[in-house]
Amino acid sequence: MSLLPTTRGPREAAAPSARLGPQPGEVIDRRRSIPFTWNGEPHTAHPGDTITSALAAAGVRVFARSYKYHRPRGLLTADYLDPGAFLQVGDEPNVRGAHRLVEAGMAVSSQNTWPSLRYDLKAVNQLAGRFLATGFYYKTFIKPEPLWPLYEKVLRRFVHAGAITPERGAAVYDHRHAHPDVVVAGGGPAGMAAAVAAARAGASVMLVEENHQLGGHLRWGDAADLTALAELRARVAAEPGIEVLLDSVVTGRYDDNWVGIAQRDLPGVTERLIKARAKTLIVAPGLIERPYVFAGNDLPGVMLSTAVRRLINLYAVRPGRRAVVMSANPEGDLAVADLERAGVEVAAVLDARDRKGVVRAHGRGGLRAVETNEGRRIEADLLVTATGWTAPTSLLNQSGDRPIYDPRSARFVPDPARMPENVLAAGEVVGDAGVEAIVEHAEAVGREAARRAGRIARAWRAATPAPADTTDPSDDDPVTIPSLAPQPHPELFAAGTGGFVDFCEDVSAKDITTAVAEGYDSVELVKRYTTVTMGPTQGKLETVNAVALVAAATGRSIAETGTTTWRPVYSPVTLGALAGRPHEPVRYSPMQSWHERHGATPLVAGQWIRPEHYGDPAAEVRAVRTGVGIIDVTPIGKLDLQGPDVPQLLNLLYVNKWSKLGIGRVRYGVMCAEDGVVMDDGVTGRLGEDHYLMSTTSSGAATVWEWVENWLQTAHPDWRVHVTPVTTAYASINVAGPRSRELLARLTDVDLSADAFGYMNVRTGAVAGVPDCVLWRIGFTGELSYEIHVPASYGLHVWERLMAHGADLGVQPFGVEAQRILRLEKGHFIVGQDTDGLTQGFTAGIDGLIKLDKADFVGLPELAWQRERDEHPHLVGLRPVDGSVVPPEASQILDRSGGIAGRVTSSRMSPTLGRAIGLAQIDRELAAVGTRVTVRLPDGRDITAEVTDTVHVDPEGERQRV
Amino acid sequence: MMLLPCPWCGPRNSTEFRYVGEAGPRPDPATVTPEQWRRYLYVHANPCGPVRETWYHRAGCRRYLSVERDTATNDVRSAVDTASAAAASSAPGDAR
Amino acid sequence: MTNNGSSRTNGHRLSGYSAWSLLRHGAVGGTWPRAWREHDLESSYDAVIIGGGVHGLATAYYLARDHGMRKVAVLDKAYIGSGGSGRNTAILRSNYLTPEGVRFYDRSVKLYEHLAADLNYNVMFSQRGHLTLAHNDASLRTMHWRTEVNKLQGVDSEVIGPDRIKDLVPYLDTSPDTRYPILGALYHPPGGIVRHDAVVWGYARGADAHGVHIHQQTEVTGIDVSHGRVTGVQTSRGPISTPVVLNATAGWATLISDMAGVSMPVQTFPLQAAVTEPVRPFLDTVVVSGTLHVYVSQTDRGELVFGASVDPFASYSMRGSLEFTEGIAGHVLELMPALHRMKLLRQWAGLCDMTPDYSPIMGPTPVEGFYVDVGWGTYGFKAGPVSGEAMAATLATGKPPEIITAFGLDRFADGRLVGEKGAAAVGH
Repeated sequence: MSLLPTTRGPREAAAPSARLGPQPGEVIDRRRSIPFTWNGEPHTAHPGDTITSALAAAGVRVFARSYKYHRPRGLLTADYLDPGAFLQVGDEPNVRGAHRLVEAGMAVSSQNTWPSLRYDLKAVNQLAGRFLATGFYYKTFIKPEPLWPLYEKVLRRFVHAGAITPERGAAVYDHRHAHPDVVVAGGGPAGMAAAVAAARAGASVMLVEENHQLGGHLRWGDAADLTALAELRARVAAEPGIEVLLDSVVTGRYDDNWVGIAQRDLPGVTERLIKARAKTLIVAPGLIERPYVFAGNDLPGVMLSTAVRRLINLYAVRPGRRAVVMSANPEGDLAVADLERAGVEVAAVLDARDRKGVVRAHGRGGLRAVETNEGRRIEADLLVTATGWTAPTSLLNQSGDRPIYDPRSARFVPDPARMPENVLAAGEVVGDAGVEAIVEHAEAVGREAARRAGRIARAWRAATPAPADTTDPSDDDPVTIPSLAPQPHPELFAAGTGGFVDFCEDVSAKDITTAVAEGYDSVELVKRYTTVTMGPTQGKLETVNAVALVAAATGRSIAETGTTTWRPVYSPVTLGALAGRPHEPVRYSPMQSWHERHGATPLVAGQWIRPEHYGDPAAEVRAVRTGVGIIDVTPIGKLDLQGPDVPQLLNLLYVNKWSKLGIGRVRYGVMCAEDGVVMDDGVTGRLGEDHYLMSTTSSGAATVWEWVENWLQTAHPDWRVHVTPVTTAYASINVAGPRSRELLARLTDVDLSADAFGYMNVRTGAVAGVPDCVLWRIGFTGELSYEIHVPASYGLHVWERLMAHGADLGVQPFGVEAQRILRLEKGHFIVGQDTDGLTQGFTAGIDGLIKLDKADFVGLPELAWQRERDEHPHLVGLRPVDGSVVPPEASQILDRSGGIAGRVTSSRMSPTLGRAIGLAQIDRELAAVGTRVTVRLPDGRDITAEVTDTVHVDPEGERQRV
Repeated sequence: MMLLPCPWCGPRNSTEFRYVGEAGPRPDPATVTPEQWRRYLYVHANPCGPVRETWYHRAGCRRYLSVERDTATNDVRSAVDTASAAAASSAPGDAR
Repeated sequence: MTNNGSSRTNGHRLSGYSAWSLLRHGAVGGTWPRAWREHDLESSYDAVIIGGGVHGLATAYYLARDHGMRKVAVLDKAYIGSGGSGRNTAILRSNYLTPEGVRFYDRSVKLYEHLAADLNYNVMFSQRGHLTLAHNDASLRTMHWRTEVNKLQGVDSEVIGPDRIKDLVPYLDTSPDTRYPILGALYHPPGGIVRHDAVVWGYARGADAHGVHIHQQTEVTGIDVSHGRVTGVQTSRGPISTPVVLNATAGWATLISDMAGVSMPVQTFPLQAAVTEPVRPFLDTVVVSGTLHVYVSQTDRGELVFGASVDPFASYSMRGSLEFTEGIAGHVLELMPALHRMKLLRQWAGLCDMTPDYSPIMGPTPVEGFYVDVGWGTYGFKAGPVSGEAMAATLATGKPPEIITAFGLDRFADGRLVGEKGAAAVGH
């Protein structure tokens, strides 16, 4: 084997044209020519040409180099699956060149070649081929260990694939939901007949075909086939109930017939994912022709019978000059006729039914001669094999079916007994007894699919509370489906001379027998060890041959050996189509436009985008401590609770007591889960006799709502409580600072005087002319403050009035960062920051709040045991001795032996105190106020800090009570 | 995607629901031992087969449903409102 | 069943794998010996390990190699590596949150670093670094927390900013105006990916060489318990008497423990994964986003391997879902928009044994002689070697070694959960 094999490369573009005269079934439009380039050289195609048909017409026979050995590869199947025709088109890698239609200006190039398709230096691997046996990776590069990363870099250079670029090129993707009665996967004769029958029975049908035309194998058939095709197409076209999707594929069948369809025939849309809830699914994918395994079976010029029939009849391309045909079936015999008609010299026909066959193909870079099992050597540039079929049962497997090996037809066939009611199969995947029998069978399947779809639709309607008429029609008898059997076929898999089983992965017959001999002796282990069937064709060409070789090597039968699992997706689908259009919504408060106009820095806070600050958070803090500030707190969760049993509910869900909350009063509460872990906190105010407003953390709003409903609906359905989430029904503004009363008084008729509206009280009234506002006097910031909830559509109005009327008071908008500093100065913890997934109530320092004497509340037993055990960490205040050093959040606190004794959960420079302050979770032994602890900073330095009370500013709480 | 037969809304895509978990009785906090309580918190029957569990129809009627589902196949056999007598469960399934 | 390796005896020397032996085989021809042999099922073993994944096989290997216990059987109801070991996304790391977690997984990474040489089987551990992205300040804070704990345990982790992230992974969109801006990342250089099947096969081959019997297609149908202790197991191929049984069955852990009458704080959830068609290597580092529930790596074959968090509901069904692929594609494209033309090739699912505190359950149970190595959730593969080492010591001595004492079954009844929950969600 030479280092630089003399393959036919791009130079062949100049070879004489292989385009035939007009063919009866051709799909190209000869009136027009469109330009494209192949490895930089100009070419032309006719509309309807695939990339490879256009190139093959120009005499190109080599399109790619193989994965492991970089052997030249040509067309094998001449359809979507063709492993020899994975090409790069512009910025798109791994394009199926034998399926993709040429478009004007396409820049097509070969993949996996360096420096060029013709001179591929990596072909040196062929020289080393005998040493690159299966599993060679596992057996070498083991020592010396430090060299493995270098070996690995080399391995990565050999990756067989196209390339992507960092820039996102132009492409449009979309999603669609569909609710058809029947989805038909496969638009061959069976799929068309089934679709028509189902539509005539009143069903809405989606008919999905991977190719660019309906018709399946009829498209490359004889005159009778073409007549039948025209008739079926006319029937499909006449049914308005059928939606035809071409160049589209059913990618998977999921639970309850949720069906994915990748649609590629939409103008302006690169690929669209259709999600269809199909009442019934008809699987009609036809059969896939199986390659034959023999030495040299990957040489360019070795093709399947369906490949040459496609090339000749669809694209009018002569696939070679002198051919040998090995045929085991009528389709192979028809290929002989097609070849002769196309002017190909048929040097020999080896009838495999008479035990004649090929054992070896010879050539370098392309077929030169064929060696038969009778010892003949026949010169040829084309070898056509027709040695059997594989039933692509993938969608049936995904429906629960397990295919059974049928030695009579030499393929795995579906087991109808294991198919669910909503999945049926039609066409050659079931049996191949000729077009008439297939159509007759498919029509019955189509009618039955429509009937079952009707039954399923009625069952769905019957399962709704107010069903319409769901009685079965009187004539709802199952359709009798005629039998359709697989035709006998000789079992032909491998000649026993070697050759490739998996063309994508360069897995040879010898690799498989070697794997079995080494103990990887089940088909799943062979698959994983050799990577057979793991390439882009996903076993559609390879699985049965691989199973047969494993069976032969183990001495078991093919049936005993079984097949591998066919997993979704049936055919690869772009990430773009799966993703659809970007859909990542965010939530804004009604005041967002004001924040944007006033230079707010946005902060992503879960679903919400909030102002982090307006330029200087420390100044915002000082404004609140000395004058007045306002903050948009709309994301705070709000639940409107009404009913006589609300106090019971609050008593159950909060750790503290609620029975005596008077009208007009507000109370703070903490919720724990049943394991005692703090889950949320907030205040609840009593607005009327049976009317309360509960607030939650912003991030907990949805969770707490569902939590409340869960306890009400599941544990206490007898309690009379009605819950309405009102988070976004209100815009919420906190007016904070010593002058907040003065500011708010200018805008409301509510009496704000300390006597009339004391700390932890709630009032309702008008603010800035907006009635029905709720005003809470609470103090998260530690200052005199009012939290006002105004009907959301007036949020911006009230905010602007507050800003306007507070101008002389120096009113300052403040953001989340200033609020965090203010609350830290005040020692309020934030659930999820100062607490974590294991922080129980007593750790959080809410000892005074937890009322263990209540008969019951959520988490009560765990909290009682936590206190009893008394070995939990504590949330404490922390002050570095050097007040200028702020230990970053997550800095670890060390015990005397250098182990972890806690961590800083919150820390900031306090503008009010002019020094660093923090909160920390710390082991009980170090938690006493006054203890000095070591804090390890992220830069590796250790500092000393003192444990303090959690409240750093105004521990008496006088400022908020004025 | 599974279809869940909501008793109020009819068969709906499972993505409309939130899975809550296996349902079981809540021990009496007054008399419970730590071992019993933690069994309630942490131990699951986790059968490969039929199980009674709670789902919440989050994007629908917002009712908690008691669902019988086969975990081997995801076939749903029944779904009733947890507030109905047929549900007969006294604790939220996701209390922990 | 025959003993295919009849010429070999217990403790025979490996027919060594090396570049030289490979060349010799290539030049001279001939066949390699079986990597592991088939045996008749014996009526009694000193220990029976249920589950032929990386945990079970590693335990058997260390049990035979380090503790001299040779009459050990590993049973698998299908083929070895057919469960989570062959279905995970093969990411290794030790940047956990709790000191006990970090110590444990650090030992595992260290064992992985030398596993190829130890087993004479190239498991292709590729330490290309591991990035966990932070898209909000809460997750950034957690990254800092993990970093500080990691550093104190001597594990290489640091928080890096968008510029360095962009240098490591040019395909990431690090611009600040995306829906999920990348604020920083936890960078963990020792992390990487490994060839998961090779780890299974390497341990199987090593265990076999030390005399362990590997029984595939052998399903356990019952566990015999008498007077509070294990006496044997019932299998689809007949009964075995044994005083020691290890449950290493991951997603099926509850079903096996139920046979011994031991109830488990475990719930089985499917975990899905997917792979794309190969493209030229462009992604060296493992990229994880907890917020977006996605992790991505590129294999030496050029495929991108994707994973997410476990499915939203408990199930033993491994059929997979379309919504998983939609979600994963959407999230990957949020991070790396240029990947839109890549094609998803195949999806699959495995079963995860989730625990309440996202930490494993290892050690004895109330039934004497019945041990568990379960509750691995989505982390099992990473822990294979260290779990094997620790469980081998436990089975041999009856006492768990210090490195796993925090992970005992009794912690749930005691209410002493492990704090990994803090960093959970998606932590690959």
